[in-house]
Amino acid sequence: MEESKKLALLEEAFEMEEGELKADMELDGIDDYNSMAKLALIVMMNDECGKQLTNEQIKGFNKVQDILDYMG
Amino acid sequence: MAGILAIEYVLPEYKLSNEELADVYQVWTAEKISKKTGINERRIAGEKETAVDLGVAAAEKLFDSRIIDREEVGFVLFVTQSPDYILPTSACIIQERLRLSKNCGAFDINLGCSGFVYGLAAAKGLVESGIAGKVLLITAETYSKHINPLDRSTRTIFGDGAAAALIGGGGMKIGSFALGTDGTGRDLLMIPSGGMRTPRSKETSKEKNAGGNIRSGEQLFMDGTGIFEFTIREVPKNVEQILQKEGLTNQEIDLFIFHQANKFMLDYLRKTMNIEKDRFYMNFSDIGNTVSATIPIAMKRAMDEKIIGRGQNILLCGFGVGLSWGSTIIKTGDYVGERV
Repeated sequence: MEESKKLALLEEAFEMEEGELKADMELDGIDDYNSMAKLALIVMMNDECGKQLTNEQIKGFNKVQDILDYMG
Repeated sequence: MAGILAIEYVLPEYKLSNEELADVYQVWTAEKISKKTGINERRIAGEKETAVDLGVAAAEKLFDSRIIDREEVGFVLFVTQSPDYILPTSACIIQERLRLSKNCGAFDINLGCSGFVYGLAAAKGLVESGIAGKVLLITAETYSKHINPLDRSTRTIFGDGAAAALIGGGGMKIGSFALGTDGTGRDLLMIPSGGMRTPRSKETSKEKNAGGNIRSGEQLFMDGTGIFEFTIREVPKNVEQILQKEGLTNQEIDLFIFHQANKFMLDYLRKTMNIEKDRFYMNFSDIGNTVSATIPIAMKRAMDEKIIGRGQNILLCGFGVGLSWGSTIIKTGDYVGERV
């Protein structure tokens, strides 16, 4: 999957505007990356990437790039 | 065979709306709270109104309906995590408040969102072993008293409420059970301090900011992501187990009534388990997640709406704090809650 497509999926999950999310952003600095966004991330990862995402894995993500890498 | 004879419920008067919450939290609009949680308002107990008060009121509704006389109750099971006291047992206080027989057994069950299913399992055992003829199963919760007003992760979800179910011979038959427990997840939904392990102290009373949510160690903490992950991992397996135990298929279930946790979680479970909307009951937008009371309240609402009818198989599934989960199947047969 291309990075632009992955970013678009994340923006949709986090309910952010198109083009708002960048790979090098720190997740802690993103207001919309809240508990609800994390639930949406689990669902998106399962539906779009066919991957199970655990709570521990989510806690291990620091930057948007970490999620992009996991998406494969 | 033991069955559910009747259900009644009560809710506190005060309504906490999304608009009121959005005014406090700023970062979330009322619409966003509604869209994600499926909840528009939740009921909040008064300052001096406890889970026991709500449970007693729900049970009084059962007595008012003349479905049973007080002296017929052989056992009271009270499911709550908001007892009046550490001791004595709240169920003993309820025996006195409801003026039940002194020959009535009583104990509390300290469980949350799985509590109604576990209460049914205990009640079925008491009835079918001949220990009690009729069991009053009360599930009552006031999580609002454990929640910091500035903790949006829990305050948007939980509401207070109570239900009283009467279990005895006949009625809507309670089938077998598939139960599960995983204590490794105990810290996902927890009040860390105030018990014997970590007594209250100056330190535990200090409020801290965790990701924009304010709470002390004496208040409710929920790792929403962890609870969601646990739910989507265990609930579909648990439902499969109970279907296999009862020799039924998904399609032979007329109505699924899951713990009414929140819309996001229930939508995901429903889709994952290939259940059509009309077989998956959701009705909590005006009351929120009332913990152990959600399933009996939903059942009563479905009975009132005539969604529950004769000859149906109804699958109940509760899951949450503990971690604890469980399912059972109710067979309505010819009985859908008429007077006995």
